[in-house]
Amino acid sequence: MFENIALAIPELFTLTNMMLMMVGTTAGLLAGAIPGFTIAMAVVLVLPFTFTMSPVQGLATMIAVYVGGLSGGLMSGILTGIPGTPSSVATTFDGYPLARSGKPGLALGIGVWSSFFGGVFASIVLMLVAPQLARIGLEFQPVDYFSLVIFALTVTASLAGDQMVKGLMAGLVGLLVATVGSDVVFGQPRFTFGIDAMEQGFAFLPVLVGIFAFGRLLGDVKNREKAHQPLGGETHVVHIDYLGAAKEVIRRWGNTLRSSAIGVFVGVLPAAGSTISNILAYDQAKKTSKEHEQFGKGAIDGIIAPEAANNATAGGALIVMMALGLPGDIMTAIMLGALLIHDVIPSPSFISDEPTIAYSIFLAFFVAHFMMLALQSFTLRGFVMITKVKLYMLSAVILFYCAVGMFALNNVAWDMWTLFIFGIVGFFMRALGFPVVPLVLGVVLGRIAESRLSQVFARSDDIGVFLSRPWSLFFLLLACFSILFPLYQKNRGKAAWTLYYAPVLLIVMAWPVFQMPGSLRPILAICMVITGLGMAALNFKRGLAPQETE
Amino acid sequence: MTLNRDFFTAVVFLLVTAGMYVATYSLPEPMFNQLASWTWPRVILVPLGLLSVVLLIQSQQSGQPATSFAGLVVWARENVNPFICFGLFFLFLLALPTLGMLLGGLSYVFLTLCVLGGWQPRQLAVHAGISIFFVTGMWAIFSFLLGVILPEGTILRVY
Repeated sequence: MFENIALAIPELFTLTNMMLMMVGTTAGLLAGAIPGFTIAMAVVLVLPFTFTMSPVQGLATMIAVYVGGLSGGLMSGILTGIPGTPSSVATTFDGYPLARSGKPGLALGIGVWSSFFGGVFASIVLMLVAPQLARIGLEFQPVDYFSLVIFALTVTASLAGDQMVKGLMAGLVGLLVATVGSDVVFGQPRFTFGIDAMEQGFAFLPVLVGIFAFGRLLGDVKNREKAHQPLGGETHVVHIDYLGAAKEVIRRWGNTLRSSAIGVFVGVLPAAGSTISNILAYDQAKKTSKEHEQFGKGAIDGIIAPEAANNATAGGALIVMMALGLPGDIMTAIMLGALLIHDVIPSPSFISDEPTIAYSIFLAFFVAHFMMLALQSFTLRGFVMITKVKLYMLSAVILFYCAVGMFALNNVAWDMWTLFIFGIVGFFMRALGFPVVPLVLGVVLGRIAESRLSQVFARSDDIGVFLSRPWSLFFLLLACFSILFPLYQKNRGKAAWTLYYAPVLLIVMAWPVFQMPGSLRPILAICMVITGLGMAALNFKRGLAPQETE
Repeated sequence: MTLNRDFFTAVVFLLVTAGMYVATYSLPEPMFNQLASWTWPRVILVPLGLLSVVLLIQSQQSGQPATSFAGLVVWARENVNPFICFGLFFLFLLALPTLGMLLGGLSYVFLTLCVLGGWQPRQLAVHAGISIFFVTGMWAIFSFLLGVILPEGTILRVY
């Protein structure tokens, strides 16, 4: 690892790269601070500017925007009570009350330091875990990859909760969209309906921008009064209390570490991004805190938890993307697009084949957090200025910028039409209650899934291979449990069967783990079975709590 | 039977799925014992069709009220701004071969700003300023800094 870091250092630490990363972090901080402006949009808008850069320059800049965006949300969340991004929703619960009680500088400082520690923790985990995961990824055959894609899609759909059917349908529509154009195996036109331009298919970045940026911006200007309002509420420049905040965060290191670990774990899961991790970490912090009655009134732990978690989630998502080449969420899907544009194709062998680029990305993620720390005070002034801009002005300009950016992607006008078509698709799907994240991931993963499936069938016609390969079976079983998860969540504590969901999961998953090579994994499988049986016995003895059965 | 939003959605999905499934029959047969180009789409379309049926059944059990024409009109009125923006963007794309990115962009951004922001003389001046500054700026950055050859349009074409 250290020799790879040594290789990456001279590649990353050039004056140009550092300047670009500083600009990227500033842009991300500002974009993240603007309510209604998501981090994904910020990264997409920066993407065209990286076309002419080297892979390391371009990716370092985008990572800087990503990190800045994750931390920028805390500014508006704490000062105005309006979260800048969905990933900082929980920050407002205690950040805003603390700021209102006359300590905005301390609240901001705690947010900044927590983001920093969460990010640094994730960077270290990223550097340690990603190469190991990539090593496991080398065991994957096409059939395992295909099952992994199916698992990723079912998890995405299951996060739609009550709208599970619509979530699954959206994922399938995404897969279907990816089939338009030319066939993966022979390159023959498919579903083009006589339109020549359709033979190019739908590039996933215009699809993604169409669904997210277009749909989001048009949703913002739907209400005429809201469209005429400035972006933020009444905000003033305040001085961030770095020293006092650092002492508070270090004093509560347990919460910082736990929240960062939750963030990384959530990031590794497909589709579960920082939107979920910040709420989850906040909830855990509230449950374990000795001052839980202070939560919602300006508790310091209530700011630390979401901010540490949301930055750490980015590291978790990057682990999977870098090690397996599969994007787990929208942000990593964009990053994957950026990598492909720079002729870098992430796969399990990517880290060992291209250590300089891989470790430059890891280091960029690490360094960007230091830049974020230094630039937060500076961007706070910019944020106060930007909050005075009216929403419709920003929307109109960004819509045009999206069009130019998507044209610049491949220099074809068809990508702008794709943007337009999927802007409409996204708008109507939202209006009809469909979650759009499964749709986008379906488009991104569709081609990967089909090419892997074709490789499976090129080797053999036997579909039993999906169940006989341990990793494939592992992912397919996980997919089944993730489909049942919304039902479990809904009936938890009410139906007796929910007591056995987790134990059965452990016992069932132990079977493919037991079949895996090596001596460690069979031992792990036995431990899983013992734990599962223990949990089942304990839950059987306890039964449902009386108040829950009512 | 309640003709609600999810009912119509499920019916549209069923029709599209059926149409696409039929379209897979016009796809060529595989060569060399490879995966046929229709296999993967059918693997997707079959569960999509089944889920559409599930949605259709759910729509009748959910208690969602029936969709009325008046309700649709209210919804359309609430979303008039997005519809206008889509319309203007469509016109921008149609006019692109003639106006090019610079003139087309200026017209598109200016019109969108005016439609969303208002047509008062002061607003017109502000909108014109924003359009000129941002569109020309972006056009210059992409054309000269990033070296992207943006569509110039027949009006500004010099050769």
